[in-house]
Amino acid sequence: MAEEKNWVLMVTAQTPTNIAVIKYWGKRDEVRILPINDSISVTLDPDHLCTLTTVAVSPSFDRDRMWLNGKEISLSGSRYQNCLREIRSRGDDVEDEVKGIKIGKKDWEKLHLHIASYNNFPTAAGLASSAAGFACLVFALAKLMNVNEDPSQLSAIARQGSGSACRSLFGGFVKWNMGKKEDGNDSVAVQLADEKHWDDLVIIVAVVSSREKETSSTSGMRESVETSLLLQHRAKDVVPIRILQMEEAIKNRDFTSFAKLTCADSNQFHAVCMDTSPPIFYMNDTSHRIISLVEKWNRSAGTPEIAYTFDAGPNAVLIAKSRKVAVELMQGLLYCFPPKADTDMKSYVLGDTSIVKEAGLEGREVPQEIKDKIGCQDQKGEVSYFICSRPGKGPVVLQDQTQALLHPQTGLPK
Amino acid sequence: MAAEKWVFMVTAQTPTNIAVIKYWGKRDEVRILPVNDSISVTLDPDHLCTVTTVSVSPAFDRDRMWLNGKEISLSGSRYQNCLREIRSRAGDVEDKEKGIKIVKKDWEKLNLHIASHNNFPTAAGLASSAAGFACLVFSLAKLMNVDEDLSHLSAIARQGSGSACRSLFGGFVKWKMGSREDGSDSVAVQLEDEKHWHELVIIIAVVSSQQKETSSTSGMRESVETSLLLQHRAKEVVPKRVLQMEEAIKNRDFASLTQLSCADSNQFHAVCLDTSPPIFYMNDTSHRIISLVEKWNRSEGTPQVAYTFDAGPNAVLIARNRKVAVQLLQGLLYYFPPKSDTDMRSYVVGDTSILKEAGLDGANSVESLQPPPEIKDNIGSQDQKGEVSYFICTRPGRGPVVLHDQTQALLDPETGLPK
Repeated sequence: MAEEKNWVLMVTAQTPTNIAVIKYWGKRDEVRILPINDSISVTLDPDHLCTLTTVAVSPSFDRDRMWLNGKEISLSGSRYQNCLREIRSRGDDVEDEVKGIKIGKKDWEKLHLHIASYNNFPTAAGLASSAAGFACLVFALAKLMNVNEDPSQLSAIARQGSGSACRSLFGGFVKWNMGKKEDGNDSVAVQLADEKHWDDLVIIVAVVSSREKETSSTSGMRESVETSLLLQHRAKDVVPIRILQMEEAIKNRDFTSFAKLTCADSNQFHAVCMDTSPPIFYMNDTSHRIISLVEKWNRSAGTPEIAYTFDAGPNAVLIAKSRKVAVELMQGLLYCFPPKADTDMKSYVLGDTSIVKEAGLEGREVPQEIKDKIGCQDQKGEVSYFICSRPGKGPVVLQDQTQALLHPQTGLPK
Repeated sequence: MAAEKWVFMVTAQTPTNIAVIKYWGKRDEVRILPVNDSISVTLDPDHLCTVTTVSVSPAFDRDRMWLNGKEISLSGSRYQNCLREIRSRAGDVEDKEKGIKIVKKDWEKLNLHIASHNNFPTAAGLASSAAGFACLVFSLAKLMNVDEDLSHLSAIARQGSGSACRSLFGGFVKWKMGSREDGSDSVAVQLEDEKHWHELVIIIAVVSSQQKETSSTSGMRESVETSLLLQHRAKEVVPKRVLQMEEAIKNRDFASLTQLSCADSNQFHAVCLDTSPPIFYMNDTSHRIISLVEKWNRSEGTPQVAYTFDAGPNAVLIARNRKVAVQLLQGLLYYFPPKSDTDMRSYVVGDTSILKEAGLDGANSVESLQPPPEIKDNIGSQDQKGEVSYFICTRPGRGPVVLHDQTQALLDPETGLPK
C-alpha cells in the first residue's frame, strides 16, 4: 500500500438501460434473484438514456457511501450488500504508478468505497433506472478493482442487485439465461447480437402521464407468482418457445416475427398482472390508445412496421422497422398526442432530435395518409414527452475526468 | 281449423344474467358450445328485463320481428336455429274461447310475429342478447305448448346466444358445457333460486365509453384462435373454480364468492389482453372501481363487495348485504358524482330504496358527502364527473314468467302488429 492515506482512486463508467421484448416476470429465488423464465432485451443508446457512475476508493474513507442523483442513500439493503460483497471478493491487485498507489487483492475487504450515480432520465418516468444503475455499479467497481471476469460473469453479480440489470452489461440484443443451478452461477446474460447488427431500427419511447402510484416490479411479480394461475403455464409452456423464435427473428432481422412476438409477450405479461390478486394494471387508457394506433397501422400497412412493448408502467416503447417508418410514426404520434399549448417542442421530443426534424414542422402538417393510418383524436397532455433512440452499445469507461461525479481529491460529490 | 283471421298471442318477461364464472370461447361456433362451464346470477327483472310478445295467425304471410320498435331480419342462423328447434317441438294448442285449434303439424306452416323490448339501453352493454333470446324461446314454448323442461329449452336458447341459456332460471344458474357433439347436454341448470341468498344487493355502474367495443362473438373467437393462455384456463383453472363456486353459493360463503368472482373476471379480461390483437374491455374508470373495492375489502379484513365485468367497461358490484350496499353507494357517489345538471333520479335507477337509505335522494345531497371512512387512501381525485353514466340498483331475481296482463303485450291483439 502507498505511504499516504489520502489518495483517491476513481473510475467513471456509463451504462445503458434496456427494454425487454420477452419479459422477465417472476422469480424462483427471491434472494439470489433467479427468474422463472429466460428473457430477451434490446439495449437502448446510452447517448439518450444512461446511468453514469463514479466509484472511488481511499484509505481516508471511513465507510461505504453512495449518492444517487445527488442524494445520499443507504447501502444497507441486501441488494447493495450482495453486489458489493460479490465484487469485492473478486477484486484483484491494482497499481497506479503515476499516483503511487498500490492495492493488493486482500486490501479490498478493508477499504471503503464512495459511489455516485446519476441517471440522465427521471426515475419517475418508469424507464428501468435500477437496471442501468446496478449494471453501472458492478461494471464500474469491476474496473476499479481490476476484476478479471467477462461481462457474462459480471452480469451474475449485477443480477443480484436487480434482475434486469444483468442485461445492461451488453449492447445490442441480450438474453438472460434463467439457469438451473441453485447458486445462480449459470443465471447470466449473454449477447445475441451487437448494436450494429440491426441498426435500421428506431426506438421511440412515449412517456405517458400517470397519476397513479404504481406497484413496484419486485412486489408485483412476487404477487403474480403467488396468485396468478396463468403464470406457471406462461413460464413453462409459452416463453421457452417464444425465446427460440425471438432469437431466430433477431438473427435474421425478421421484423414481422420480431413485432408479433414482442407485442404478444408484452400483452401476455400485462395479462398475467391482471390475473394477479389483487389485479395490477400498469397500462392505462393512453397506453391502450397507443396500442390501437399501432395495431391499426400495421394492419393497414399489410405487414408489421411497428412493434410495441410496455414494462411495469404506462410508458410505450415503440420500435420502428426503419427510419422512414419512424419519421411517419413520429408525425402520427404528434398528431394524436400534441403538446400542450405552452410546451416547447424541444422539451417534448428528446433524444435523437433528427427524427422530429425530418418529420418536419412540429407535426402540424401531417399527411392525410398518416391520419388515415391512425384515425385518432386530439389527446393533449396524455403524453408527457417522447424520447427518440435506437439500439445502443454496452457499458464503457469514461476517461474524461470532467464527467466524474466525485471530486478527485475528496471523493465527495462535486 | 277456425276462421282465418284469429291471432293467438303470448307475452313473457325474462331477466338478464351476469356470469360470475365466465364463458369465453366456443368449441363449436354453429351449435354454440363453450370450452368451459359457466355460472351466473340472474338479475331482478323488475329492474332489467326483456318483454317479448309472440303471436301466430294464418293471416301472417311471413315470420317478422321487431326489436325495441324497429323491424329486424330473422334470416341469420341464430334466429333460424331457434325458430326451427322450437317449431319442431311444438304440441297441440286449443283455445276454446276463441275457437282456435292448432295441431302439432300446423306449426311448420304458420308464420309468427314477434316483438321484443328491453327496458335498458342496448348500448349499456348489459347483455341484451341473453335476455332477448331466452325470452324468445320461452314465450314461443308457451305459445306452441312445448312440453319440455327449462333445461331443455335452455339448449335451444343457447343456439341463439350462449349466455341466453342461463336466463331460463332465476337465482344462481350453471351452464354445463356438455360433452356431446350435438350439444344436447350443453344446458343450463338451476343451482339455487333467488330466495336462497336474497341479502345480496347488486349495483351496476354503467361506465361512459367512447370506444366501440369488440363484439363478444368475434372477441371470443379471436381469443380461441390466438390466446396461448385460454386453453389452460378452460382445462385447468375453470373446472376447479366452478366446483368452488357451487360450494360458495350453496353455503352462502360470501368471502369465497368474492374471491372467485373477482379472480375469474380478471382472468377473463387477462385472456382478452392475451389475444391478438389485444382486446381491452375495461378502461381507467373500471380500474378505479376495482381499486376502490379491493382497498375497501382489505381495510375491512373480510370481503364486503365482489366485482365482475363483462365484455365492456360496466362494473357489476355485489354487496354482501343491504348495509354494505348503502355504504358502497355512498362511496360510489362520492368518487363518481353526477354532473351538475343531472337529476339524482336518473343517475341512480332500479331499486331506489338503497339511495333513500343512503340519504342521497335529495337535490343537493351529493355535495354533503364525506369521503367514506372505510376507504383510507384516496382513489385519485374525488371529482370524476361524467365517468359513470348512471347506476342501477338490483338484486338476484326470478326466472322467466308469462305476463297475463294484456296491456303489457307489445303486439295488437287484432292485427298482430306492433302497438
